[in-house]
Amino acid sequence: MTTLSYTIGVLALQGAFREHLEHLQRAVAAADLAAYSFSLLEVKTPEQLAQCSALVVPGGESTSMSLIAERTGMLEPLREFVASKPAWGTCAGLILLASEIHNARPHQKALGGMDICVARNAFGRQLESFEEACDFSDFAPGVTAFKTVFIRAPVVSAVRKGADFVSVGPKKMHRPNVCSFQEGEKTLTSFDLVVKAECENTAPVEVLHSLPNGLVVAVRQGNKLGTSFHPELADDCSFHHWFVKEFVVGH
Amino acid sequence: MSTNVKAGLAQMLKGGVIMDVVNVEQAQIAERAGACAVMALERIPADMRASGQVCRMSDPQMIRDIMAAVSIPVMAKCRIGHFVEAQVLQQLGVDYIDESEVLTPADWSNHIEKENFKVPFVCGAKDLGEALRRIHEGAAMIRTKGEAGTGDISEAIKHVHQIKKEIREVLASAGNPDKIAELAQKYRVPESSLMDLIENKGKLPVVNFAAGGVATPSDAAICMQLGCDGVFVGSGIFKSNNPEKLAKAVVDAVTHYNDPQKILEASTDLGELMFGVSIDSIAAEKRLAGR
Repeated sequence: MTTLSYTIGVLALQGAFREHLEHLQRAVAAADLAAYSFSLLEVKTPEQLAQCSALVVPGGESTSMSLIAERTGMLEPLREFVASKPAWGTCAGLILLASEIHNARPHQKALGGMDICVARNAFGRQLESFEEACDFSDFAPGVTAFKTVFIRAPVVSAVRKGADFVSVGPKKMHRPNVCSFQEGEKTLTSFDLVVKAECENTAPVEVLHSLPNGLVVAVRQGNKLGTSFHPELADDCSFHHWFVKEFVVGH
Repeated sequence: MSTNVKAGLAQMLKGGVIMDVVNVEQAQIAERAGACAVMALERIPADMRASGQVCRMSDPQMIRDIMAAVSIPVMAKCRIGHFVEAQVLQQLGVDYIDESEVLTPADWSNHIEKENFKVPFVCGAKDLGEALRRIHEGAAMIRTKGEAGTGDISEAIKHVHQIKKEIREVLASAGNPDKIAELAQKYRVPESSLMDLIENKGKLPVVNFAAGGVATPSDAAICMQLGCDGVFVGSGIFKSNNPEKLAKAVVDAVTHYNDPQKILEASTDLGELMFGVSIDSIAAEKRLAGR
């Protein structure tokens, strides 16, 4: 019998990609994954992406990652990848994976792996960043009291249900860091700007986790996962272990 | 605010370029080039160096305008030891404060007690002792001092090597309490700082960026290859002939720092770069890194 092998890539254009690789390294060493073989890969080029069976899009600056991806010929390969293969976006990665970005910048692009709207910087600037112990055991067995950080984090503000987007979470809780830009003669704010991408994902969108105030911070759509927080900055790798079992090996 | 939250933002800036900007237009050029943050300041270090004047925190209005014009994090500098300038910047809501030797120090014997602030701090270091003292005071990010405003990368490289060499010395002292005590005294840090460093296998508890003298894509990439987590570019970009192109080139060189072909492409046809001031030509007492 041959061993099933998987290559998990972490997009390494900018951001906290090493942290993801370190957590994945620990996660795939778990006894219950011993039947499989894994290799982990920093992904900077289309050739590296082509080797991957699953991709993690890390936290960082979503505009930086989008611009670098576009300049280095990674945007289309990434769009094709997330149209079919398993992917997980954390924070900026969640923004990139979405089909609609709210409070966006005119020059940024979405990948459209998940049919969701994501509002950037929904909590505000760095002074509003926070740490919270979350119980994720509803969807990730055994992941309780998981201490995780939200850094200038986005939230999921709407999800596709049939033909329409349906709002999720309380919009009035958003305290975005809004900035302005010129379009011809007009000064617009980032709040006026929505960036969209085609999305072929037709699986139902599940809200996995909301904060006590109702803001949606984790969603799943088929083999795609999006979290507005950073499991890669936590001390334990149980969330990554769940991702590998559920999304990489499970698909 | 917890250390994780403060240091977490710096982790998100990794593999990225933070650019000094003096106005909204430059900030937008930096953002469009893919900078992961900007440092808002009134004068870039090369001009401060040339002015010979007292350099202070920038006018909050200028920082506020930049905060309103870009969505990437905005950092601002306060003078070493000037905790009231830091309070003002925190009140303004900047994302990071740089307690910077580029400005004229306000207190020649004490740095700011950064632990007490909600906003995270980045500080310069030219050796391990400085890095550990700043971290002990609450810095959530370290950068090499280099020699700002010169376009001469050699000091930044010297500081990277110095810190690495001293970390090796600490690691070699594991299990030797006398040696640890001696090093702790030499570096003016608690022994626990050194014990933590040993426990972390020599990895500093916060990210370490290169800064001071970065002027080309290759300068940025060499710092990355030497193990820095990211790069600050001060005067280099906006003192060149084609800032927009150079800004993109430096960002691309940091992403592909290990790929000579990509660095070659990034380095090609950039026009006239920043003038350079060789470190040899600056008298020791005029060097900012000594602050």
